[in-house]
Amino acid sequence: MFFHMVLERNMQLHPRYFGPHLHEKLTTKLVKDVEGTCSGKHGFVVAVTKVESIGKGLIREGTGFVTFPVKYQCVVFRPFRGEILEAVVTLVNKMGFFAEAGPVNIFVSNHLIPDDMEFQSGDIPNYTTSDGSVKIQKDSEVRLKIIGVRVDAAEIFCIGTIKDDFLGVINDPDATA
Amino acid sequence: MTEPFNRLVKLAARAFYDDFTTKGDNQPKTGRSDNRGMAVVVLDALTRRQWVREEDLAKSLKLHTKQLRRTLRFFEEEKLVTRDHRKETAKGAKIFSAAIAAAADGQQVGKEGDEKTKIHTHSYCCLDYAQIYDVVRYRLHRMKKKLKDELDNRNTIQEYICPNCNRRYSAFDAMQLVSMEDEYFHCESCNGELVAESDKLAAEEMGDGDDNSRRRRREKLKDMLQRMEEQLKPLTLQLARVKDLPAPEFGTLQAWEASVNAAGRGGNNNGSATDASKSAQGQGYGGTPMPYIGETKVEVTIFGADVKDEGAETEAATASLKVLPPWMIKQGMNLTKEQRGELRPDAKVDGSEAYRDQSDEKKQEQKQEDVKSLEEEYLTAYYEAYARMLEASKTAQGEAEVSQQSTSSYLNGVSDTNSARQVGMKVKREDDDDGGIEWEEDVATGILNELSIVNDPNAQPDGSGDEDDDIDWEEG
Repeated sequence: MFFHMVLERNMQLHPRYFGPHLHEKLTTKLVKDVEGTCSGKHGFVVAVTKVESIGKGLIREGTGFVTFPVKYQCVVFRPFRGEILEAVVTLVNKMGFFAEAGPVNIFVSNHLIPDDMEFQSGDIPNYTTSDGSVKIQKDSEVRLKIIGVRVDAAEIFCIGTIKDDFLGVINDPDATA
Repeated sequence: MTEPFNRLVKLAARAFYDDFTTKGDNQPKTGRSDNRGMAVVVLDALTRRQWVREEDLAKSLKLHTKQLRRTLRFFEEEKLVTRDHRKETAKGAKIFSAAIAAAADGQQVGKEGDEKTKIHTHSYCCLDYAQIYDVVRYRLHRMKKKLKDELDNRNTIQEYICPNCNRRYSAFDAMQLVSMEDEYFHCESCNGELVAESDKLAAEEMGDGDDNSRRRRREKLKDMLQRMEEQLKPLTLQLARVKDLPAPEFGTLQAWEASVNAAGRGGNNNGSATDASKSAQGQGYGGTPMPYIGETKVEVTIFGADVKDEGAETEAATASLKVLPPWMIKQGMNLTKEQRGELRPDAKVDGSEAYRDQSDEKKQEQKQEDVKSLEEEYLTAYYEAYARMLEASKTAQGEAEVSQQSTSSYLNGVSDTNSARQVGMKVKREDDDDGGIEWEEDVATGILNELSIVNDPNAQPDGSGDEDDDIDWEEG
């Protein structure tokens, strides 16, 4: 799920940027530092939308770096159990398949794949229904449900299932027609 | 009263604790040390008791105290049994004995002579029926949930296990486990191939976890679920039966002792009056432990208990009062007068005409020989009366019909046991000796009564009602 929220961060800026474009420099550095990171508390920071305020800088002794407390608005993404996500399959093997929904890696183990889909090894490993109408392979898009989330300090990993109504492959041309 | 709960305990014991053994799995099971089934015996014994000292229980079960204690501790963990330990002197222990004695024969053990100052820790245990009900339900729920989850693999995080080093992984570790060489997960420490762990329920036929075996496992689970449901059906039925009943509550050891002591003391004052209540609440379900069973009262209590037991066995058929079978009534006939009085207290509630008739009949049955000489007279009198009656009843027919209905319904309503019993008795008699005359006699008494009041016009419909009642019985 996505959230728009205000976060705070202490930015350290090298003395060489002290000058007329200090604020722009600070913002670009913030975006570079923060976007794409993952905190266990808030999830993935997807984008910084606005810098709200930049506090007074504090010059650190010895190094000359200046620490600015920065408040910024950003969009964060955090998966929850029970959430439905759309994801792209990245890897298929006998034990199940891996998929990515943005920054999140999701594993769908083979017992969470409907029973009528069987694993086909070969050049392109895939899961296929007995009539061959539905196929899950690399780069397929699937809709899945999160049934477990493991949140580490800097990583989030999910377990998903496609064994439920309306879950499964969604880029099937027949389905969109 | 506690019978449904006791049955629940017994069923649960047989279902879940039948193969419980206090020995560890690693110890070799010789024939001697194999104590499977002991748990069931202990639980059964506890259903016949309330609070009981563990030593006493061990003694009566002829078990070693240690063995019993181990079993009880297990049940305590399983939340079936509440236990209480307290340090007490020999005198303190006597309080409990007194409580038992009070419950058993209504007498206080007044003697507190030789007091030893030595302090022992005594343990007491008691079934916790309310909790047992919950525990069993929870257990069933968990079993069902586990199987169902397994069956449709819903929301279960797959676990993987390394067959070499037994290291376990969950699906959350999948990212680290995937290897580039082949399509299996590999152990981080020994690089062995991991096996999906949920296959343990059907481990025998699990080969490499391909789809075929997945399907087989499903079938096996389905079968298992089905078997579980049908095999535990008695238990679930009993649970449903018990659902709305209040669980028997004995309270804490102290509270129980106090209440039982109080009841015992009250019993002393009332004398025989407590016998009935005791048989109802105390020994009726074998509630009080063993050592002091009053010998004199045995007969009465056994009778009461018998009735109860029979009720328990046929309880599926009827929850209402039972109609005693004829053989039982024959026995009952031979019983003493008090017992007869005890059997029919409900009929006394309203002493009406019909009831008096019944009692008259009873008396006559008892002194049947005396009556036999009078039978002929009754017969003649009856026919006369009957002839007169027919005329009279023609006039007052409408009235009579109403009252007859009411009386007969009243008779049926009074007590199924009583009227049925009497019918049974009479039928029995008929077999024994000349039944036809016997019947006339009954009818005749009815008529005699009527004759005595036949001049009273108000009594007429009543009398006819009586007569009809008699005829009714004859049919029954």
